[in-house]
Amino acid sequence: MTPLTFELKINPGFPLDISPLIPDLLSTQSKIQIKSIPITHNKEKIPAAELFTITGNDHKNICIHSNNGKLYNVGQKMSFGTIEVKGDVGDFLGQEMQGGYIKVHGNARAWAGCSMTGGRIDIAGDTGDHAGAGIPGDAHGMSKGMIYISGNAGDRVGDRMRRGIIIIGGKAGNYCGSRMYAGTIIVLDKTGKYAGVAMKRGTIILAKKPAHIYATFESCGIQEMEFLRLLFTQLSAMGKEFSIFGKFRPEAHRYSGDHSRNGKGEILIL
Amino acid sequence: MIINGVIIDDTFAEAFPMKATRIIITAIDLKWANRAANSIRGFASSVIACGIEADIERELSPSETPDGRPGISVMIFAMSTKELEKQVPTRVGQTVMTTATAACFAGIDSDEKISLGKNLRFFGDGYQISKVINNRRYWRIPVLHGEFICEETTGVTSAIGGGNFLVLSKTAQHALIACEKAIEEIHKVPGVITAFPGGVVGSGSKVGSKYDFLTASTNEAYCPTLKGQVDSKLTSDIGSVLEIVIDGLDEEAINKAMRVGIEAVCSFGSQNGIYRISAGNYGGSLGAYHFHLRTILA
Repeated sequence: MTPLTFELKINPGFPLDISPLIPDLLSTQSKIQIKSIPITHNKEKIPAAELFTITGNDHKNICIHSNNGKLYNVGQKMSFGTIEVKGDVGDFLGQEMQGGYIKVHGNARAWAGCSMTGGRIDIAGDTGDHAGAGIPGDAHGMSKGMIYISGNAGDRVGDRMRRGIIIIGGKAGNYCGSRMYAGTIIVLDKTGKYAGVAMKRGTIILAKKPAHIYATFESCGIQEMEFLRLLFTQLSAMGKEFSIFGKFRPEAHRYSGDHSRNGKGEILIL
Repeated sequence: MIINGVIIDDTFAEAFPMKATRIIITAIDLKWANRAANSIRGFASSVIACGIEADIERELSPSETPDGRPGISVMIFAMSTKELEKQVPTRVGQTVMTTATAACFAGIDSDEKISLGKNLRFFGDGYQISKVINNRRYWRIPVLHGEFICEETTGVTSAIGGGNFLVLSKTAQHALIACEKAIEEIHKVPGVITAFPGGVVGSGSKVGSKYDFLTASTNEAYCPTLKGQVDSKLTSDIGSVLEIVIDGLDEEAINKAMRVGIEAVCSFGSQNGIYRISAGNYGGSLGAYHFHLRTILA
């Protein structure tokens, strides 16, 4: 069986809402039904077959070819299966995702993995602001699962995050882990200002010392932490993309904070 | 049946269904992991009075443990999940958590679970931190040596307890030398433990007693000093009897453990004072599992 493949054949003038193209919905539909799925484009609803060349027969594994970042809501609310995007995606990648796996070979715009409750998202390029955060109105951000961003991330990564792991291979913007409730964010390159501001609990692990630590964080000194040993061992066993964690020592400079809230969060600088 | 001059009685070991769990203890090195493991398996020889039966299963290399440190796998058996739930967190809290640098993880994955760090986390007095990695929840409890890492729960599985055989010999020393060799071989079988000190029982019991308040008492039929006094199962040449009791995850594991154990004992032969192999049973009416010696060795 070959993945059900959607190849964009037009250059859309407006963003395309492709939230119906998830394994949960497609696995129960025939090819004919799939071709007529209405896709929202500006104020119109256009049948999928007019926008995409559709091939393949594995409805649980979906491949999307995109030459621009105008596809949004990719993998929204999916609970199983895989979506592979060859190209860039727009906002709200994997929003409220419950399970399964999304792989984006290009970049993703803002709100990637926002409010997700399970599954894993891999982004080979960069992502915009609010990755793993909660959209306004939601009680919190992502509450389970994993986001792996190979490139850089924008501001407010993991804002109001509740649980789960976000790994950023590149740089993170300002307000990384702001208002976190819990969970773990790992940044392997530089981080912007105000990391962890207003965090309640949770862990922000920074491989490089940031230029700025917020005043409401207190140094707990340099520690050898068994938690880091466990985390790095588990991550490095998850796949070769995380083999770098096998090289880190479980030693970190621990800062507790944000003491303007309850101070039970932590920033660990490796 | 006679092996190397050793008579194999036409009898069987009677075993019972139990519940079991496995925990993995890691520490800065194997020495300290062993100290924690030895503490938790202390006073855990028999469910008759200890509540659980526990023993070290094997040593684990760093590549086999969740945190990449040397570790020890400990198996714990009890008559019910409720008893495991009562005993395991208490023992982990008082022995593993108190061992410097130790951490504790689940060693069995199953739908039925008991608490491990779930309740121990309160020792952190509000400073404990929960972390979910790979869908498994761990607790980070701040302690004097740094952090005590403990998985929230461990799995429980159905198991079998009470596989056994008796080594009837000329003297206790003859039996002990053979039993030590047997224990060495049994420990190579995965999924089994021998919970008694050194794996050998020096005071095997029968069910009940002349005293109302005792549930188990000495098995006088196999006591060499009572040969002329009671309806003894011993012949005049037998001066000592030792028992090896085996708990295992399934029948196959116990079968194999009994076979390698008996073969090891028989390898010493009658010329080295090993005369007979027998087994403990209650007439077959109490235990759900019967391990017939001659079938195992056939």
